[in-house]
Amino acid sequence: MEELTDFYEAALNIGKYAEGLKKRGKKIVGCLCSYTPEEIILAAGIHPLRLFGTKETISLADAHLQAYSCSLARGVLEDALAGRLAYLDGAVFPHTCDTIQRLSDIWRLNTQFAFFADVVLPVKLDTESARQYMEDVLRKFRRDLEEGMGVRITDEALRQSIGTYNQIRGCLSTIYELRSANPDILTGSDLYAIVKGSMIMDRDHLAERLPEVIEVLKERVPSTDTAKKRIILSGSICDQPDIYTIFEKAGGAVVWDDLCTGSRYFEGFVNTGGDPIVAIANRYIERPVCPAKHTSNTARGERLLDAVRKHNAQGVVFLLLKFCDPHAFDYPYLKGFLDREGIPSMLLEIEDQLPSEGQLLTRFETFIHML
Amino acid sequence: MITAGIDIGSITAKAAVLSNGRILGSKVAFTGYNAQQAGTDVFDDLLKELEMDASSIEKIVSTGYGRNSVTFADKAITEIICHGAGAYYLNSEVRSIIDVGGQDSKVLAINPNGTVKDFAMNDKCAAGTGRFLEVMARAMESNLDDFGILSLRSGTPSKISSICTVFAESEVISLIAKGESREDIIAGIHESVASRISSMARRVGVKEPVMMTGGVARNIGVVRALEKALGVSIEVSEFAQVNGAIGAAVMAVKL
Amino acid sequence: MTETDKSKGSKEMQSAGKMREIMAGYYIDAKTAEQTGKKVAWITSGGPVEPLIAMDIIPVYPENHGAMIGASKMGADLCQKAEEMGYSGDLCSYARADIACSLVDGGPIGGLPKPDMLVCCNNICGTVMKWYEIQARYYNVPLFIFDTPFCHTEYADEAKKYVQRQVEEYVIFLEGVCKKRLDRDRMEEVGRLSVEAQRLWQAVLDTAMNRPSPMTCFDAFFHLALIVTLRGTQTAVDYYRSLLKEMEQRVADGIGAVPNEKYRLLWDNLPIWYRLRWLSEKFAAHDACLVADTYTSSWSMSLRYTKDEGSFLDSMGEGYARAYINIGVDEMIKIVLEMVDKYDVDGFVMHSNRSCKPYSLGQYDIQRAVQRERGIPSVIIESHMVDERSFSESQTETRIDAFMEMINQKG
Repeated sequence: MEELTDFYEAALNIGKYAEGLKKRGKKIVGCLCSYTPEEIILAAGIHPLRLFGTKETISLADAHLQAYSCSLARGVLEDALAGRLAYLDGAVFPHTCDTIQRLSDIWRLNTQFAFFADVVLPVKLDTESARQYMEDVLRKFRRDLEEGMGVRITDEALRQSIGTYNQIRGCLSTIYELRSANPDILTGSDLYAIVKGSMIMDRDHLAERLPEVIEVLKERVPSTDTAKKRIILSGSICDQPDIYTIFEKAGGAVVWDDLCTGSRYFEGFVNTGGDPIVAIANRYIERPVCPAKHTSNTARGERLLDAVRKHNAQGVVFLLLKFCDPHAFDYPYLKGFLDREGIPSMLLEIEDQLPSEGQLLTRFETFIHML
Repeated sequence: MITAGIDIGSITAKAAVLSNGRILGSKVAFTGYNAQQAGTDVFDDLLKELEMDASSIEKIVSTGYGRNSVTFADKAITEIICHGAGAYYLNSEVRSIIDVGGQDSKVLAINPNGTVKDFAMNDKCAAGTGRFLEVMARAMESNLDDFGILSLRSGTPSKISSICTVFAESEVISLIAKGESREDIIAGIHESVASRISSMARRVGVKEPVMMTGGVARNIGVVRALEKALGVSIEVSEFAQVNGAIGAAVMAVKL
Repeated sequence: MTETDKSKGSKEMQSAGKMREIMAGYYIDAKTAEQTGKKVAWITSGGPVEPLIAMDIIPVYPENHGAMIGASKMGADLCQKAEEMGYSGDLCSYARADIACSLVDGGPIGGLPKPDMLVCCNNICGTVMKWYEIQARYYNVPLFIFDTPFCHTEYADEAKKYVQRQVEEYVIFLEGVCKKRLDRDRMEEVGRLSVEAQRLWQAVLDTAMNRPSPMTCFDAFFHLALIVTLRGTQTAVDYYRSLLKEMEQRVADGIGAVPNEKYRLLWDNLPIWYRLRWLSEKFAAHDACLVADTYTSSWSMSLRYTKDEGSFLDSMGEGYARAYINIGVDEMIKIVLEMVDKYDVDGFVMHSNRSCKPYSLGQYDIQRAVQRERGIPSVIIESHMVDERSFSESQTETRIDAFMEMINQKG
């Protein structure tokens, strides 16, 4: 879709976009996880930039991370050590999982960025003490950012930042809803570009840009093609736009997702009233949970079934990053939930290097055929 | 109605012709470097053998890794669906199919109406495929054709626990050095292959009758080891190796 | 066999025999709990067991069971079963083996007794949370998660507050499940016994500072069981008191665990449970004694944070939060260097354990730091600690041999 050139450019060449920001005097802080309290970073006048695994060969990272860690951790470390992230002023590591926890240490010990912060968020999100701790940790992060980057973060700035994020998240939600109602208005790789672009591009600019995209999408004529099978993707990170293209070639249409680089990034608004830190904490407590965090034993399963029903999906494709433990532990029970309702599903383990198009097409075509 | 199926695998290309529900003939050839050429050649050679003309074939379906390069096919369908259709054609009672080729292995669960219910594939790892057997046959200085029969001679298979082909090879070398009997080691190798495949099979669920297809189905040692590992009896048709092509021809009828 | 060897052998038998007896009794108690009206809690190896002891709840450790499964060489089959259930083969082999075990009542003791509650402390990893969620769904019993925030470089005030509140929540949870109050006096007594057992355990490990060392890390892996499972009981205190006496006697008699101790090595990470004897013999054949390890010493590390004033419940949080693998890599390096100096170590054997990311990721940096700061060589051997199918004996052997040749060369 030609109206999305800027999103594609950002998504496909993060470095170039970041250099552009730097030239305009922006400070940039990198992050790897959708639990990063970006609202606070933006309120500091700093640009939060999502980091993705590398497209280059892993060699420097091998000296620090064994091959049995996920390609996100290895890839980000590789880029950092190779000097390809020189545009960063620093990085933020919210608690995510065992691998990221260790990556945080390794990054801290082996890179020389000006700013570094761990944000040790609670792992469980279902108690009052966890909520209190979450607020305390966010307050600490605000102080760390102020001291480390020499800025002041006012409550007013936080409220403004919250407003910007609510706008961005609202727009992404709307785009997802439009796509679900009519999958043909947007290809999978277009949506990938929009969402990935939203994790990279200037947030204030996005708050204005995304509504423009929505207007264009609303103009699109709904298709009458009902042959495409409606699929939901579930998993962690998916930084492989080719997967969507191959999927569509196989006769499928992705109508929703439960991905870290998808709906879990933007679902959930921040309250605009009251203490902004408390409001931000609440959003991260209430938002759709990631398997590395605990709310209830069945939250994700129930949410997946809800999504299948709400979006009229005919099947679910699990895209699991190899060596991602939290997702791999959840998979059997999620599959069990789907099996009990007679909803077909398929598992694809993905890595840095995608399997050949032929192999992917075979699997997807077979799955679509089964629906 | 006369249909044909062409299965282009990474090592071998197969063709089959079906006429009103009867297999007229089938052929196997090496794929080589040019998949498109291999498809054309194996099809032409089969027609020549059957003394038929291409114009008498009403519909053609291609399958396998090289299915999209068979430009004269009416449709390309994945080998999973075609293996399912082929096995079901050979025995409509079949409910599980284990297909083990040179470079990959897959397990299919089949619905009573012959459609695929669920499947699992291993196409990234040599263990549990024909490649594993090739590597081990070389290590044991054995002929690949005799390998399976030799394995049946042992009542006490050696234990080979590694799931990695490279590790398993060094395990085998250690066993040879330790002086374990040749037949025991070969039997252990076959049990190892069966172990990887049955593990994948159980993820999908195994329901009898079970049919084995693909080139490795000709290895009686693997068939018996799989029967033992899964506790089922396994049917192997004489058409095991060309099952994909037959299934493609069956799918062509439905076009 | 010399007189010394024979006496060493028979002395070793005493403690080992007692341990087996105690553990057998412990598992029998656990498996008959329903009949005796006691409650059973499954708890993680780094979890706060003292309140359970104080409330007469029998603590059961799926990880300890995992080690037993590994040592009995039943891990491969159970892990394969877990894969058939849909669990990736890359996941922790303790978890895979236990999850499969629950389904088939497998393992060397016919499966663990069904839990009445689950207590999961994530000071060892995030895997345990997923594992315990699975078991909570499977057994449909209450789950308490004790969330100890990661201490990269410090035990922050926010974390302190959070951990302390959870200690209270933990007690409320236990009281709720057991429908009885915690006896605070008994709690203090159990706390005192826990600290005493930890002191004794550390003293036992300290005897390895002697030349020759009276024990190897393989002995430590064996004698570890009680400080993990029954910490807070008189049984544990008595056992380690007697084990300490035994070790002190060996030191007095000049008995070394390795008859011709020439090289002293430090082991890092969990054991390769299904190859303990092989490893032990391999190193002994090279005249090398693994005098210490970072794993078994974890269970007395909380002594660093024990306070003499205040109640046990008020002070136990920091020790649990700062478990060895819940701290930053640079903090781990400090501890490793301390151990290198304390035990006068010539080489470092690192087990790169595919089953334990918090312990294994960062090892390469630790390896380099040890080389840089102390100039001692190290070797890395890889496995899944309970799943033999990923272990290559000949590869590992080659690495160990090469490493020992390197140490030999240094003289």
